[in-house]
Order: sequence, then C-alpha cells, then structure tokens
Amino acid sequence: MGKILCVAEKPSIAKAVANHLARAQARNVNGVTYVKNYVFDYNFTRWGASNVVFTSVVGHIKHQEFAPRYSSWNSCDPLDLFDAPIINSVVEDKKAIARNIEEQARGAQALFIWTDCDREGEHIGTEIRDIALRVNPRLDVKRARFSNIERAHVINAATNPISLDEKQANAVAARIELDLRLGAAFTRLQTLALQSLISQENKVISYGSCQFPTLGFVVERYFRVKNFVPETFWLLKLMHEKDDIKVNFNWRRGHLFDRMAVTIIFERCLAAKMARVTSMQTKPTSKWKPLPLTTVELQKMGSRFLRMDSQRVMKVAEDLYTKGWISYPRTETDQFDKGMDLRSLVEKQQQDADWGPFARNLINSQFRQPRSGRHNDQAHPPIHPVNFVVRDQLQNDEERRVYEFVVRRFLACCSEDALGESTNIEVEYGGEAFRAHGLIVIQRNYLDVYPYDKWESSQQLPRFDVGETFVPKEVQMTDGKTTAPGYLTEPELISLMDANGIGTDATMAEHIAKIKERAYVMTRPKGGGRAGGNGEVRLTTGSRGGRSGTGRGRVAGDSGNAAPAAGNSGIQEFIPTTLGVALIEGYDNVGFDTSLSKPFLRKEMELQMRAICAGTATRSDVVHQNLELYRAVFMRTAQQMNVLKTAIRKYIPQANG
Amino acid sequence: MANLAQEIASYLSTKSLSPTPAWLSTFLPTIRTNTPLPALQKTALFRLLATDITQSLARSPTSCFPATVHDATVRERNLTGPLAVQVLDVEDIGRSCWSQVEAIEAAERGETTKGREIIRSVPSEQETAEGVQAAGAGPHKVLLQDAQGVCVYGIEMHAIEGVGMGMSIGSKLVLRDVVVARGVLLLNPGCVTVLGGKIEGVHKAWKEGLKERLLAKARIGEEE
Repeated sequence: MGKILCVAEKPSIAKAVANHLARAQARNVNGVTYVKNYVFDYNFTRWGASNVVFTSVVGHIKHQEFAPRYSSWNSCDPLDLFDAPIINSVVEDKKAIARNIEEQARGAQALFIWTDCDREGEHIGTEIRDIALRVNPRLDVKRARFSNIERAHVINAATNPISLDEKQANAVAARIELDLRLGAAFTRLQTLALQSLISQENKVISYGSCQFPTLGFVVERYFRVKNFVPETFWLLKLMHEKDDIKVNFNWRRGHLFDRMAVTIIFERCLAAKMARVTSMQTKPTSKWKPLPLTTVELQKMGSRFLRMDSQRVMKVAEDLYTKGWISYPRTETDQFDKGMDLRSLVEKQQQDADWGPFARNLINSQFRQPRSGRHNDQAHPPIHPVNFVVRDQLQNDEERRVYEFVVRRFLACCSEDALGESTNIEVEYGGEAFRAHGLIVIQRNYLDVYPYDKWESSQQLPRFDVGETFVPKEVQMTDGKTTAPGYLTEPELISLMDANGIGTDATMAEHIAKIKERAYVMTRPKGGGRAGGNGEVRLTTGSRGGRSGTGRGRVAGDSGNAAPAAGNSGIQEFIPTTLGVALIEGYDNVGFDTSLSKPFLRKEMELQMRAICAGTATRSDVVHQNLELYRAVFMRTAQQMNVLKTAIRKYIPQANG
Repeated sequence: MANLAQEIASYLSTKSLSPTPAWLSTFLPTIRTNTPLPALQKTALFRLLATDITQSLARSPTSCFPATVHDATVRERNLTGPLAVQVLDVEDIGRSCWSQVEAIEAAERGETTKGREIIRSVPSEQETAEGVQAAGAGPHKVLLQDAQGVCVYGIEMHAIEGVGMGMSIGSKLVLRDVVVARGVLLLNPGCVTVLGGKIEGVHKAWKEGLKERLLAKARIGEEE
C-alpha cells in the first residue's frame, strides 16, 4: 500500500476530516503540541488502498521580510523598501511543522492538500507543496475541494481531488508583497516624521493600505456629524375620522424649508374646506424573504442582532464550521446551486424544539427554492447549517446565537415570502395631495422563523370611495428640525468597505479590528451621544425602504424623523481619535486624488488581484504597477510632510515642536 | 430700416416681449441688413434675453406688476399678463440648506465629476429606516423682477420644466393668469413660459455666492 500525506490548514480540520474518513489514530508531532498526525487506512479512488497520514499546518508557514540590512529603521531611507530584496523563509515557530511535512512527505506517493478553499488557502497549499516537493519531487500533488465538514461532503471531496489553483496563490503572493513593502515604507515614513509630535514617544504610527481607507470612512462621517447644522422645516398634517377610525394623512411634499410657502399653502387648504378622495387602491403586496447568507451579510447582522462585532462573529462562525455544524463562513455567494439537496438540510432541523415545527412544515408542503442573488464566488455555497446540533451542546451563548441565526436564515430562505395587502388612499385638499397608507399582513410565512425582519400590520383603514368629499376633522401646520446623521456603525462601515472594494469579505473584520487596536478609532454603544431631535414628527416610511436606491443625495438630516431608538440595540458606533482625524486630514490635504485615506488606490489593487485569479494579469505586472502608483504618493507625502505635521499639531494640542 | 424695426418688434411681441425704442435702436446698427429676416428675429430675441429687462423692456401697466402686488392682506388675486420677468434668485425649498452645502462640497472635491472615481455612499441606517425621499426635487422658490424693477417671490406649486437650481440667473419667464396669494406668485406649468436667457455678470456672482448664502441661511436657525 502506498502512503498518502494529507495536510489541512488547521489542526481541528485535520482531526474532523480524518475521523470522517476512518477511525484515525492520533500521533504526536515532535516539537509542536497542538499539531497531530492522524494515521489510518483509506481506499482512495485515485490512489487505491493507502496508508494515510493526515496532518495540518497552522495558517501560513512562511513569511516574507526584508534582507537584514534593511531591517533596522535607521538603516535605509524608507523609500528603498519599494525595491529592497525580500527573503521568503519558514517562520521560526513553524519550523517543527515544516519538518513534520518533510518527514512525512519522504516516503509518500501523493500529497493531498486540504486547506480551506479560498485564495489564502490556495496560497498556503502552495507553501505546503513547495516544502514537500523539495524532499520528494515525485509526489502526485492534489487538493480537496470542500466547503463544509459534513461527512458525506468530506468523503465526496476525498473521492474527487482537483489541482491547486496557481493563479489564486499568485494573487495572494502579490498582495503579501505589496502589503509588506507599502506597510513598512509608509509606517516608517510617518512614524519617523510624526512620532515626536505625539506624546507617546515610542508609538509606531502604522500604515496599512486597507486600514487607512477604513479609517477614512469613519473620519468622513465624523465630520458630517460634527459639522451638521440643524434646520427648521414646516409641514401640513391632515387627520380625518371615519367609521370611528382616525386616519392620518401625510403631506405628499413631506416638508418644506420655507415657512412663508407653507403658510400660504396652508391657508389655501383651509379655504378649500372640502377634501376629495382622488384614489383608493388596495393591492396584494409581499415582503420578500431574505437572500442566502454571505459573509458580509453575516457580519452586518451580527452587529445588529447578535450583539457581536464582525471579528467576533467570524471567529464564532469559524468554530461552528470546524465542528461541522455550518458550512464555510467565508463566501460571497448568495445563490444556492440548483442541484443542492436543500430539503435534506431542512429535514435535519426538524428535531429542534423552537424551529423544528417550522422545518417540518417546510418538508411537508411549504418548501420553496431560495431566491438567487447576483453573486457567486464559484468556491463556496451561501452559509447554511450542515448538521443539526442541540444548542445545549454548543460551547457558549455566542455559538448558540450564531448557529440559531444561520439556521433561521436558511429556513427563511427555503420558505415563502410574507404576504399582505396594502392600501393607499390619496386625497386632494386645496390643490395639495395627502396620502394614507395601510398594511394588513395576511400570511407571515418566513417571518415566523425569522424574527430579525419586522413587518407588521398597521391599523385597518376605513373604506373611501374615489370622488368622495369630506371636511377633514383636523388640519395642522407643524414644524420640526433636521437631525444630524449618527456616527458610523459597524454594519454601515462594512457596507462602505464592501461597496468601495476595501478588503475582501474574509478580511474586512480584521481591518476594522486593526484601526481599533491602533487607537485610530474608538467604539461606544450607539445612542449614547446626542439628543434624538424632534420626536413629534413622523413621516411615512415605505414598507420596503430597505430596497430603495442608494443615491448620494439621500441626506439623513432632510427627513426630519426622530432617530430610530437605537439605544438598546447593542450596535457599536465608531468615533475617530484625534490621531485618526489628524492623519486622515493630513493625507487629504496632501492631495485628494491619491490620498491614502480614499479607497481608490486600494480598490484598484483589489481589482487587480481578481485579474490575477482570472488569469488576465500576472503577479509581477500587478506588483510593479501598484508599487509605481504608491511610490508617487510616497514621494509627494515625503515632500509635503509639513502638511501632515500641521494636521497633527491642529488636533493634538500637546504636540511638541 | 423702420420697416425692419417693425418686423423685429412684432416678432418679439409674439414672445410677449416689448423692447424699448432705445434698445431697438442700439440693436439695429449691429446687424447686417442682408441677413434673412427670420435669422435677424432670432438674433434679436437671443440678444434681448441676455439683457437686464429693467433696461431693455418697455414699461406698460399690463406688462408690469401692479403697484399693490405685495399687499399681504389680499388673500387671492389674479394677474392676467402676459408679463415678462427675469429670475434674480432661485432656492430649492424641498431640501435643507445644509444638505445642499454638503452636495456642493462633494462636487468641489470632485466626487460627482464624471469619469473620476466616486466614493460610493450607502444609505445610513437612519436613512434606510426613514425611507428618505430622493432629494433635489424642489419645489423651488424664485425671485422675479419685472421691467420696472419690482421684485416678487414666486413658488413653484407644480414642477415647471426649466425651473430649478440649474437655471441661469437672468432667465426670462412670461407669466399669464397667475394667482397671487398674500403677495406671492403661485407658479404652475400652465401659467409660466420659460424663454431662457441669462444675465452673465449677475449669474456669475450668484453662483459664486451660492454656498455662502446657503450656509448663512442654514445657520439662521442655530441662533433661534
């Protein structure tokens, strides 16, 4: 029997997969306590009956650093780091892991790589391959394609090995090189120049090409809040009582910022005396069930409903994945493959005390194919539960909350839209239009299993006939004030990063955590700061507000509504520190187009990474082009360091010098 | 030549514009008389629309605002017209001044320039929750001046094509059968004909001062 060496990305995956394939024996590995070799026999389709050693790495094994003569901060001009030679070597504390791979590869017939199926995993796979091939060049190298740790899926992956994707690995290599060069060059440049100005003497003012645009979004919103000027507006309200029901009609103009105009219109309404019904429409309406779950969406919902920040949600989701409860949580895909057996996944949830009956109902008759979004990363399905687990068996409350959310979301996807009936009444009064809107929810459907969406019946509206006239019971002219937008919340920040191509779904949470760690921003529970504005004024909100357009012209202050009560939601809001504000303003003053605080440069880089994956660009072209772009920014920044210093002095008063 | 003056004046009167003899007499020497008449008429209209009508249009009782037009005690009256006016100011009263300042600043930073990269915004939670209406729809409040220099405010009750923040200061409008309520004109598409035009210098000054004026107006509320 030949020997097959399998290598996973983390010990927990090695253990889980090995145990799915056979009754595996764990053996210790010299020099590392947390990595084990699992030994068993298995009959592979490709290699036949084999002795298997299933081991793992712990993330990347190698790291990149500048040649020793560049490593000291005073050894060279930071500009030299754009071209300084880079040494690729095994990380000191990963040497035992690399040695284990070498030892196990020696007598092996094939190397079967089980790293996660994403770009990073592909790159780690090439690291493993390079180490193994050096001691045994005749290895047959394959990789497993899998997106969850469920038994049948794992066995299927073992049966159908594929090749490593060199292109994805190259994209990661390009990103690593750029991050190293740019991060080191700009960090050294700005730290050396600015450190003496801030009170903490030895503080490193770190730069990262994702961190800075992320910080930029926070600072931009901060200024919008800080500079906001509240204004008074005026509006008309009409109330009429019919069949003992009070109906509030909203002015179609919303509100106007000119008192004279509203006063004149108000007088003309009063003079008209009679209001006339111009339209009365009742039509079926529905609230669409959610799309299949992506990483970005999971992170946003996590801060909104699960009381966890994005990084925490990802950590918990990853644990659930490793234990085989949910599918791989890093995915951009919001469409389920048509061939996927979703019913059997729903079936597994029937035993749950809370949502079991709902799942049973789906199986019996109500199952519907999920909606399809527009994204497909071609690697992983949307996040979904792969197995049922009694929640008491999960490790902690956070795991329970995330698991529950993933399951409920999945069941909602397999359910039916909520159905209702909407009524719109429009009346004309003194030449002005007023509207009343009513909603009756008829079938809750997916809402029954998905409490994160709200859709509730309004009051029942009385019947009006077109042409009917009446003297309104009450007409009022009132005023209100615009309110400032809130500080940026985590879900908003994630949306901005997503829309502007900063980071990937897999790394956004890390960048957000980084700017907190660097003390460029602080977070606090939302609703702590400002007064809520005018509480009296209420305007209609469309029941599908969430799906309307996203034009830039939408200014919160314009609507005049009181801020939604957010005090108890557990959402965190981001406020930049003085250092954060100073850095962004400084870079903006150096030049907007290529300011490091803007997403443009980074977005471009992100697109080029995709081009490498698609095979339309090469690694060296991309690295070269980006280095040239950033080199220009670097030179400009170095020349205009005084602009940055001025910004630091402006915001950090105790600044020396 | 007298005949030509007649032809031009009668063409302009079909647009409800009656230039002063003085304006006509400065216009006529600048043209070539061998140009076809329709072209000359168009030229005259074009030049007239670029003038300040307090200098160029004849003042007659029917082509000007009545002396009592501002009387706020009159709840409603009707102006038959036709009456030519020029726009001295335009405001969007459907949007807060501050939001307009923010939009101008975004444009200054180049974020709205075509062909340049734009930072994509996403609606804030507040905006999503409130279902904010699309901005920039008006209505607009305009300051209109007649040939004798009298200024009256007008409110765009229903959207009128050509009236908006993009219109030129000095644009000429012709009003017919307009309701005046408490000294303010209530403008509708049916009673306003937009002839266009511009008073170059005034327009430039207006545009340059727009942001400052909006800022000042937004801040009025702060002191209250």
